[in-house]
Amino acid sequence: MPTLACDMPLLTELEKVAVGRVDYKHAAPHGAVRCEWAHEILHPALRPVDPILLAPFLIVFLSLAAATTLCAQAPTQAPRDPFMSLMMAQPKIEIPLVTKATTAFDPPVVRPGELSFFRVVFDALEESIEWPTNLAGPPQLEMRPGAHGQMLQMNLTNLEPQTAFNYRVRASSLGSFTIPDFVVRVNGKAVTVPSARLDVVSEPPASVLPAERVTLELPLTNLFAGQPVTARILLPGTPAGAVQGLGAPQLCGSGILVDLGGARQRIEMRPRGAALGPTFIYETTVTPVATGKLMVYAQGFTAGNRFFTPSAIPVGPARCTLLESDPLELDVRPLPTEGQLPGFTGAIGSLTVGPPKLATNVLRVGDPVKLTVTITNRGDAPLARLVAPPPPQAQDWHVFAPSDITPTQPLAPPRPVVRFSPDGRSVVTSTAQAESLVGVVTFTYTLIPLTEDTRDTPPIPFSCFDPKACAYVDLTIPSVPVTVQPGAVPADPSSLVQASSAGVAPEKELALSGLSASRGRTAASLVSPQQRPWFPLVQLAPGVAFLGLWGWDRRRRHLEAHPDIVLRRRARRELSRQRRVLRRAARTADAPRFATAAVNAMRVACAPHYPAEPRALVGGDVLPLLPETERSGRSGQAVRRFFALTDAARFGTGASATAELLALRPDLERVLEELEQKL
Amino acid sequence: MKAPFLPLRPSDLGLRPSFGLRTSGFGLPLLALLLALFARPGSISAVSPQAEFESGLAACRIGDYVRAAHAFRESVTLEPASGALQDLGNAEWRCGRAGAAILAWEQARWLDPFNPSPRQNLSFARKTAQLEAPDLTWYEVVSTWLPASWWAWIAGTSLWLAVGMVLLPGVLRLRKATWQQAVAALGLMVFLLSIPAHFGVQTRARIGFVLQKDTPLRLTPTLEAQAITRLAAGDPARWVRPSGGYVLIRTSRALGWVEQEQFGTACPRTGKKAG
Repeated sequence: MPTLACDMPLLTELEKVAVGRVDYKHAAPHGAVRCEWAHEILHPALRPVDPILLAPFLIVFLSLAAATTLCAQAPTQAPRDPFMSLMMAQPKIEIPLVTKATTAFDPPVVRPGELSFFRVVFDALEESIEWPTNLAGPPQLEMRPGAHGQMLQMNLTNLEPQTAFNYRVRASSLGSFTIPDFVVRVNGKAVTVPSARLDVVSEPPASVLPAERVTLELPLTNLFAGQPVTARILLPGTPAGAVQGLGAPQLCGSGILVDLGGARQRIEMRPRGAALGPTFIYETTVTPVATGKLMVYAQGFTAGNRFFTPSAIPVGPARCTLLESDPLELDVRPLPTEGQLPGFTGAIGSLTVGPPKLATNVLRVGDPVKLTVTITNRGDAPLARLVAPPPPQAQDWHVFAPSDITPTQPLAPPRPVVRFSPDGRSVVTSTAQAESLVGVVTFTYTLIPLTEDTRDTPPIPFSCFDPKACAYVDLTIPSVPVTVQPGAVPADPSSLVQASSAGVAPEKELALSGLSASRGRTAASLVSPQQRPWFPLVQLAPGVAFLGLWGWDRRRRHLEAHPDIVLRRRARRELSRQRRVLRRAARTADAPRFATAAVNAMRVACAPHYPAEPRALVGGDVLPLLPETERSGRSGQAVRRFFALTDAARFGTGASATAELLALRPDLERVLEELEQKL
Repeated sequence: MKAPFLPLRPSDLGLRPSFGLRTSGFGLPLLALLLALFARPGSISAVSPQAEFESGLAACRIGDYVRAAHAFRESVTLEPASGALQDLGNAEWRCGRAGAAILAWEQARWLDPFNPSPRQNLSFARKTAQLEAPDLTWYEVVSTWLPASWWAWIAGTSLWLAVGMVLLPGVLRLRKATWQQAVAALGLMVFLLSIPAHFGVQTRARIGFVLQKDTPLRLTPTLEAQAITRLAAGDPARWVRPSGGYVLIRTSRALGWVEQEQFGTACPRTGKKAG
């Protein structure tokens, strides 16, 4: 895996430029930051290029190089990028072709219930190891995952990676237990991790030393969120007086923030039993950023530097072992919201504000002046990452946010004080501090007087939270008396300041919103309607309706222009109705009704041809519509007969012989068919 | 003369002429089938989205965010709602699932862009996790001004309003008035202005987010494919096309394949309702 790692702080800046994203993984001593990245996420301009594609550029480059050699004057050499020079000067990381894995129990012989560390060490980068989530072992062994980390060890000219995985193992019964060998994939290749054996006996031999461990010291475990606390990782030296440095020390746990910039390390004589012994101390600042119960433990490699007291003799090569401490539980409470004072920027501790210092007390309107404020921490907690109080909005002053901030200046660590008993032996060792001064930070504000009427600088609200008193403390920076003289500039400086600050809106601090108490706007689905199959149909429905309306309107206008169509249609409809009536009357032998229906049928069939009201037509109006040959034939006679008998029955006084009309039904049907065809 | 009612005969299908109140042995399954076809699943379900939502709120109050996320997810699965999606995002964020949280907040914005909380949470999450926001085109930005469904109805309504104002006076034989012409012009203008937003909704529906941390972006849609790069949870990408269990996505840096379970869009493309 083309992964690169380095311990140089300057390279991290270069990496930010090249990669655009930096993942801070480990903390290194002296504030150095190790970062890693894979070449896949490199900026496109920095990705490796196919050699074939480079060939044309190489030819052009060689041609240009040959041409430049022909010049009489040698070209000036471009200055080398110092970052690149620094990076090139770093030793290479040598990754072996065949990865080796070693396992061991520390100590290999324990009593039942006694802790032993099962360590697996690879000579490979941690990122390349696909470590299994569950490690199987004998059921008598209780195995819990411990620390894991990576260390780069110097080997002559190159750096060799070493990655270790720790497991905390406790045996419940006597016996000899073996964790069988298993396979782990490293760089995509299978690597066999050898087996390891742990002997559990009632009395281990005296030659077996207990496991080497580091100790994590925290002065407080009941903290408030955001309250910094000094954490110390202690690595005691050997009884012979040799003490090792701790490589890649880390504080592990969720919900904590470790200040790498303020990390310090030293060797101190600390009591070990009745005597004093050298102890390596790595000190840094931890800030809990989450509330609740937080577990923290320390880890680090024993490697590299070895320091010896004058009485100690170095024995054997330096070992590189991943050590870890027992976990500590932090009880973190949130800061109280009640009683919060103006100007609170998250400062927690026992802080005091020194008298503000103004560069000069005699000013002119529009001239900037520096106001220096010193904040001193007199508590037992470090002054870490103090945020300056925001500039106030004053009528007569324009105050700029402090741009010149002197970082926290931690004082020298407390020196050990050794007291001696009358017989000359050291009996007590303690850390004494004349004054618990932990840090000082200085803010410098820039103020511009806007009027000559002002007599003092505006007070700057500031407050902190005192964890001992569990209350907020007012630390408002007081006013400083000044004398403001008229400015040399005729223009009104307040308008200039307002114009410059008008377009700058105060940046709103981002935070996670609260829970919504209601479900809010609902929908049947998150899929938008335009992506549903029914949506085009719904959209086409109005179109179809409008199309129907348009067609209906066209039809209506057409019928209005041709009213005979309507008359003929009505005539056909009425003719059909009358034919049904006369057929029914014929079936029931109802001659009067049959005659009336027949006459009505002939009338409605002839009316559109004149046009005329059907009731106004007589038999003479029907005959011209018959074919010439039938006017005097049977059809014509039937027409005359129907009209004559119907008129006689309607207007005559005597009884008419309409019964004989039933016999004329075939002739009548033929007449009606003729008339219907003409409609 | 009043026409007599036709005598009703027993149905051959088994449904007697009693309007379904008395059913035969065949009619009962038929009725059940019709109910199953036309009844909404939520209406007969024992759990309601409101009950699940309140269960999630109760779990949040005691700090059980895993259970809260489950309840909120059930609620939005039954019926998507912007408030429930916002709370789902908050719960997922508390559980450390940044990808799922960002997707939920984006879905809340998709549903209700007037709600400022999801936008604020997205800004907070992206600043905290150092993630980039989707690179939207101008018409996609316009489409975020209103809910996605609104643009569809605005476009349809304005178009047919304009057509109706032009067509109906002639059909109804009304004299063409100035206001009718003005409404037609307004409708046509709204329709033309909504077309880019309508298009923006279509393209914005293809924007999705990586759900899992260190998701490999594969060169080919296979299990053994070479990883081009690894994407962080919440990284935005555009859905190009699916193939098998993989989907081709285009990020701001590369084009590659991810597993479908590792990528979610604000507008579901796989038939899932939400979440």
